[in-house]
Amino acid sequence: MICYEVERDLDGYVDGELAPAAAASIREHLRLCASCRQRVADREALGRLVRSVPYYDAPEQLRARVSGQARRTTSARRLMAWAAAAAIVVSIGGGISLVRSGTARADTPVDEVVNGHVRSLMADHLFDVRSTDQHTVKPWFLGQLDFSPPVVDLASVGFPLVGGRLDYVAGRPVAALVYQRQKHTINVFVWPTSDGTPAVQERAIRGFHVRHWIRNGMAYWAVSDLNDVELTEFVRALQTA
Amino acid sequence: MPPRRFEEMVLPHLSAAFNYARWLTRNDADAEDVVQDACVRAVRFFPSLRDDDARGWLFAIVRNTWYSRVSRRAGAEALPLDTSINDPADGALDPEARLLQQLTIARVREALEELPADFREVLVLREIEGMSYKDIAALVRVPIGTVMSRLARARDRLTAILKPPSLPMERMP
Repeated sequence: MICYEVERDLDGYVDGELAPAAAASIREHLRLCASCRQRVADREALGRLVRSVPYYDAPEQLRARVSGQARRTTSARRLMAWAAAAAIVVSIGGGISLVRSGTARADTPVDEVVNGHVRSLMADHLFDVRSTDQHTVKPWFLGQLDFSPPVVDLASVGFPLVGGRLDYVAGRPVAALVYQRQKHTINVFVWPTSDGTPAVQERAIRGFHVRHWIRNGMAYWAVSDLNDVELTEFVRALQTA
Repeated sequence: MPPRRFEEMVLPHLSAAFNYARWLTRNDADAEDVVQDACVRAVRFFPSLRDDDARGWLFAIVRNTWYSRVSRRAGAEALPLDTSINDPADGALDPEARLLQQLTIARVREALEELPADFREVLVLREIEGMSYKDIAALVRVPIGTVMSRLARARDRLTAILKPPSLPMERMP
């Protein structure tokens, strides 16, 4: 590995987008080459600078206009569907039970945890206990749940714990731990389970990435809009913590 | 999978869409118009949404909406920039450090706005939205290798813009 090759792949390396072998040989080179180390450090500093610029949140009036417009469209569509259904009923003289459409029916845990994640962000109810201290968050669950969820802070690897709350999945109260990565929120739902495999399962639903695994008799579901690479990093950190 | 309502699927990504549009257009009023138009289209195209990526889907519509507006009024004068700063919540910082941080943020924001739109776009998608090269490639419709080289050039350019006066990079927070 020579400096030119590092320079060529610098951005892929910093972004965690290189194949493992290519990343490993760059890491090897960095141990020996101070100027390439500086290049990487400069890129990382630049990334932090860009990420320090505040998010432009959607203005309230825009949010109101968009959701109003969606509601109008949805209700118009429902009305049409209803009218069509009514017409059928009339034409064949009744006897058909109307199929209820549009009711929110969450059937599997993966749907429920994604719903829980969205709800926590939209209803502005992210925390019951807001603290970056695992020794505050963990005891809070005592008396709220019939189990004690493992709570670890991952600030040292860039995923600070920011709080926790009680949530409901599969008809039972579960622990939701909230972590942050820059502007991205990661919800980790935890509850005891007796079955499943420790292998991490991956899903993507409605623009959110989901990871599920079992460890020490606990089911873990991590949900975030964070990219795959960083969420994988997060899961690894949580599993080895 | 039960049928999902537009609000459940799309509204959680509205701020992300606005942030993206705001960086593309560089001003609040245009960004609002773009996102509003995009959402009108999104409601119409809603049945075409695949299950797995509502954010990417919405971004693609925002991008197309912006693109058709830009080409429609190509040559029209750019609207004045909004230079107001959203105060980040940093109660822990003393006033001086806070002022310094705001100056830095304002400077980085200006530098980003100086970049050509295609450079600015990949930086925002990667650094702020944390999207993978693969997802950026699909959205911007270029090969993955182009995403990497575009990011490299965008970062080189941004570094050059930020460097000249006395603000050494290694002293940034």
